[in-house]
Amino acid sequence: MCNLPTDFLQTCRGSTNLAIHKRSAKIIDNSSIWLEYEFSSCWLNFFIYSMPRHNTSEDTDDMYDDLFKKYGKVVYTRNDQKSPIAEVDDDAESLAFAVAAAKVASDAKAGDIRVLFVKPLVYWTRFFIITTAFSRPQIEAIRHKIKDLAENDYRREVTGDAKPNSWTLLDFGDVVVHIFLPEQRAYYNLEEFYANATQIELPSENRRPSNT
Amino acid sequence: MIQPQTLLNVADNSGARELMCIRIIGASNRRYAHIGDVIVAVIKEAVPNMPLARSEVVRAVIVRTCKELKRDNGMIIRYDDNAAVVIDQEGNPKGTRIFGAIARELRQLNFTKIVSLAPEVL
Repeated sequence: MCNLPTDFLQTCRGSTNLAIHKRSAKIIDNSSIWLEYEFSSCWLNFFIYSMPRHNTSEDTDDMYDDLFKKYGKVVYTRNDQKSPIAEVDDDAESLAFAVAAAKVASDAKAGDIRVLFVKPLVYWTRFFIITTAFSRPQIEAIRHKIKDLAENDYRREVTGDAKPNSWTLLDFGDVVVHIFLPEQRAYYNLEEFYANATQIELPSENRRPSNT
Repeated sequence: MIQPQTLLNVADNSGARELMCIRIIGASNRRYAHIGDVIVAVIKEAVPNMPLARSEVVRAVIVRTCKELKRDNGMIIRYDDNAAVVIDQEGNPKGTRIFGAIARELRQLNFTKIVSLAPEVL
């Protein structure tokens, strides 16, 4: 790492740093360096040609582009990457669970239930269920019903809040359930934050006005 | 590596601007706190006309540290600043939005509320 050109080191700096492994940089000869670093989910292999100091000009970028086209390739992909078909299957299963959980919440008289498909926006989950409960005992009831449904029918473990809270969160991995008291729902305004997410239409009987 | 007397930036819109750690919650004589740990802090600087004021004692979760965070897969994450998010006794964030990137370890530590308000999760 100590022999990396300063230009490259500068490009690595940012407000959030993904530190590059010292051990993954290895020098092939005096003028070229192989670097491997992990970015998002795959390993990319870059061939970086260290330029002499006097030759750094605007066509350096083009040269790097050409080198990348010639030598850059994905050399390693994690084993846990799923095929597109498996992804669609998982989406469908999560959607089924999300709709079932929304139905259960509706049965417990939760208000203004929204199911959002947030997978395109965040990588860490697929669906958000945002709902309002009007008292802490009602939050507890909704929490228990959704938890029982998840454990019995969908074999999912829950993490998150263990007791009713003004903002109770149930984390099932692919589906995250937010149960708010009306005040907190207006305060945090999660729908606005995830305004770009696709809203899943629920059967009409599940939609209740928020002032019930 | 956050310890008592460390100054931290505030990564939310709760109204506090700068915190000073005064205690680490967890064990009795813990020396350092890392990402995902809860600390007791005092507000050293606050935005005017907001609910939180200077010299108030609050709880906060550390979301960014200059000290590297190592993951099992070998990835190392290091931020440019030490930052925390102010929470209440129940664990709900006092602000409504989080600023900057945070680490996914917070979700495993049951701070999914903070993760769901964050614009970027590394």
